[in-house]
Amino acid sequence: MLRPERMSRALIAGPRDKLPQSIEVLHELKLIHIVDHHGEDDTFHIGKPLSPAAELSDNLVKLRSIASILAIKAPPKERERIRIEELRQKVLSLELNISEEDAARKKAEGLLGDLERRIDELRPFASIGLPLEAYRGYESLTVIVGRVPRDVSGFEEAMPVAEVFRGPGVVAVFAPKAASEQALALLAQSGFTLVDIPAGEGSPQALLDVAVADRDKWKARLEEIQGRLEKMRERYAGFVVAAEEALEVEVDKAEAPLRFAVSDHSFVIDGWVPSSGFKALQTRMEGLGIYVESGEPQEAREEEAPPVLLRNPKPARPFEFLIHLYSTPSYHELDPTLFLFIAAPFFFGFMIGDVGYGALFVALGVVAAIRLDPKSIWWRILFVTAVGGVWSVLFGLLVFGEAFGLPFHPPPAHLEELSWESFGLFVPIPTLIHKAFGIGDMIYLSILFAALHLGTGYIIGFVNEVHHSKRHALAKLGWFMCLFGLFTLLTFSLRWNPIARWVWDVPLGWFPRMIEPLGLRGFLGVEIPFASLILILGALLGLFESVIAPIEVASLLANIMSYMRLAGIGIGKAAIASAFNVILLQNLILTGQIGFVIMGVAFLILAQMLVFLLGWISAGIQALRLNYMEAFIKFYKGNGIPFRPFGAQGTQEV
Amino acid sequence: MADPLAAMAAAITMAGTGIATAWTQKIVGGATVGAMAEKPELFGRGLVLMALPETIVVFGLVIALQLLTKVAAP
Repeated sequence: MLRPERMSRALIAGPRDKLPQSIEVLHELKLIHIVDHHGEDDTFHIGKPLSPAAELSDNLVKLRSIASILAIKAPPKERERIRIEELRQKVLSLELNISEEDAARKKAEGLLGDLERRIDELRPFASIGLPLEAYRGYESLTVIVGRVPRDVSGFEEAMPVAEVFRGPGVVAVFAPKAASEQALALLAQSGFTLVDIPAGEGSPQALLDVAVADRDKWKARLEEIQGRLEKMRERYAGFVVAAEEALEVEVDKAEAPLRFAVSDHSFVIDGWVPSSGFKALQTRMEGLGIYVESGEPQEAREEEAPPVLLRNPKPARPFEFLIHLYSTPSYHELDPTLFLFIAAPFFFGFMIGDVGYGALFVALGVVAAIRLDPKSIWWRILFVTAVGGVWSVLFGLLVFGEAFGLPFHPPPAHLEELSWESFGLFVPIPTLIHKAFGIGDMIYLSILFAALHLGTGYIIGFVNEVHHSKRHALAKLGWFMCLFGLFTLLTFSLRWNPIARWVWDVPLGWFPRMIEPLGLRGFLGVEIPFASLILILGALLGLFESVIAPIEVASLLANIMSYMRLAGIGIGKAAIASAFNVILLQNLILTGQIGFVIMGVAFLILAQMLVFLLGWISAGIQALRLNYMEAFIKFYKGNGIPFRPFGAQGTQEV
Repeated sequence: MADPLAAMAAAITMAGTGIATAWTQKIVGGATVGAMAEKPELFGRGLVLMALPETIVVFGLVIALQLLTKVAAP
């Protein structure tokens, strides 16, 4: 559970003529993660693809091009059954049909583009009205045509030698060549932009009419072609998707020898098999007359580390994607999925701490479980938040006494504040912490969670290192002591808070009370229990890890401080919700005027949705971040290779 | 009731650290989105880098609360 699945090295050797059957069986078993052969041997070379590979790949390429022309994206509900032998003929005839239509479509699209440009070119000239040949063929005149955003006024007065023709937003100027610079400068004052004179002769209006008629004709033709392609898509989508899938499998099998070592008469397949499935693989292969040998992974050879298949209890499995998102664990370390499964939703629940929002998260999770595909990423995200929602309901009900940002009971010294009691709803559960008034409690709880979370991280780190390097394990122990020292010091300093007081008196009742006799109090301004000081000095064991490690005491303190975000977001989110509630309930809804009530309810729903979404995003990211940034760096190495068995479609990665 | 000067100091602390965090996230966020366009699998690391500067504002919160509870208390 805490370790990835045990792997065995499998070496499969057999005569070359049995290669196709072996591939078939391995593909069906989906048990072996193949280690590619690199062909540095005189006898054994990289294998050649099986004979149908070229044709299969060719079919696959053709099918993919068909799928892209038909714009097939989502897999249709009904898929056809495919027979590989008949596939070639079907793909070829489909390709012929579709490529004809595609060529016609491309031609129509190209022509339409040209016609649109021609129409754009002609339009300004049509509004001026001169025939096109009138713009060309002068020796002494220059012709300037262009668009103007506003009317060109006073041009004739400023340049009497020029003649000007106007249309709406267009101007054509005929001026002596010598005066062309001056004309352009004058026109530029009105925001003039030059246009090219289109090719052709005759009335631009007549040419424009022809172009528009052509365009409409081609548009209709394009729509016709698209309609035919649409029909083809409806008809063939099921076939294309199913054929693509079937072909991918066949190509995968046919190209598999590229990953094997093959000699003139034999083949060798090297790979990793989950130890639990080794026997099954061996029996099946030996039935074919093929030899299978097993070996155990060697810890020393990091570069040949086995692939990692995470093995977790069912409820924690959807959390595995969050681990892969960070980095797949290495084969030789503990799998932190369970750690994340407990810590992240707990933090999420603490930050949300509200029955109402918690119940909504759970409801979203239930909807996802019913409506979505369990393989989809949203299913997993909503499952993870639903687990957080459960914690949130627990915290909201038993600790914070709050639903939708409104407390169950008014805080003791502030009986005038709005609460569910104001609406006649009495929840018979006492509120332990009022978020807005128990800031000290929230902060101390954050420190307590930090100590538990980071402490567990160091213990996992110790277990990871103890077989690997005793020195590093000792350093982890030192850091654990240092963390405990800092925690006791903080608890001692914050014991004005009732929770800290309780922790100091009851669970830490055994802890030596003696204050350090060295006089650090005068220097640091706080009293330090002697035992805490000794424990903090445990960081010196970090020297086993690196020379500068003890400086990291400050960063450990910063890590603990970082957990204050639990309190910060918890209070902040509650404060935003409470502000919306107070403003909208008191000023609009409770006035009793029907218009205000309707407006108030509408705004309240919007405001609650906003708080819900903000809470989801911020608490979700922060809960993950505390795990990734603060805890994982204490013990987690990652960089493992995910287990991808030969024959499995898709991957377990996101 | 909090000392007005301590309350001002707390507000300035929050504003300053808030702006610092936002500024850093602007830079990191831009770079992360750029990197993700090239390599979408960097999402995890990008998220972590994005969340990293938030520590600044959390420290601001701690200091602000210290100011309000310790300094302001008579």
